[in-house]
Amino acid sequence: MAITLDTAKKMLGAGKEEARKLGIPCSIAIVDDNGWLVALHRMDGGLIPTADIARDKAWTAAVFKMPSSTVGQFGNPSSPGSGFNTQNWNDRLTTIPGGLPIEIDGKVIGGIGVCGGTPEQDVNICRAAMEVIQAIND
Amino acid sequence: MKELTLEMAEKMLEAAERWARDVAGIPCSTAVVDKSGALIAVHRMDGAAMATTEIAIEKAWSAVAFKLPTLMMSRWLDPRNVGELLGDHALGMVGRGKGRLCFIPRGIPVTGDGGEVIGGIGNSGIPSGVGDISDTSVSQAGISALYD
Repeated sequence: MAITLDTAKKMLGAGKEEARKLGIPCSIAIVDDNGWLVALHRMDGGLIPTADIARDKAWTAAVFKMPSSTVGQFGNPSSPGSGFNTQNWNDRLTTIPGGLPIEIDGKVIGGIGVCGGTPEQDVNICRAAMEVIQAIND
Repeated sequence: MKELTLEMAEKMLEAAERWARDVAGIPCSTAVVDKSGALIAVHRMDGAAMATTEIAIEKAWSAVAFKLPTLMMSRWLDPRNVGELLGDHALGMVGRGKGRLCFIPRGIPVTGDGGEVIGGIGNSGIPSGVGDISDTSVSQAGISALYD
């Protein structure tokens, strides 16, 4: 099951509302369960590179099925079996916070990525958008 | 109109999606970029092929980069026009712009009050010449929405 454009639009709407409250023009990207882009909005005044970074965060969260910040643990030298270099793995991988997997009934159906504010603000905007999904889950 | 806002871009996408759904009955992707070619918004309709988002973005970017509809640019590469439009150099255009240049119809620049290019719209997913569907109608539907 993959996320629909309709759900993605609702998430973008909720995310943008939160971003306006925080006063941060940002980019929000929604990808499907395979990491392919479904929808992306860059708010007025949002810096140009934020669009690509938001998309990278969403891709990372969707394909690893975990928050983009958690993916960074794989590159931690102090963790046992630390494997890949998270800085130069492929074009898309990013360990910057602000990417979350979208789950319905425990299954990952996509990912959301936000870029434009501080890491905390980006995650908060992700969470605000995720409330749309929680409403579906309930 | 001086510049495209996200609100205007969303209006354009809605109109293009409505056209694709109601007139063509084919799911597709549509993208809107600003006057620098940078992405403002892109939507992929349910059922559209995965690659269509990227191609829609490339078409919108190409239309802004050359200030021309990509339909015109596709003519440069038409073998029947070699020696007339851009001559034999036309094939050298393929793969330029770090691979982002796209010569497939349905990318159109959006012009402002003074005729200057303020952005572009691109669409991918609808085959050319299906029935009586014109090559650029879906993108034009997006631009028309700006004047509603």
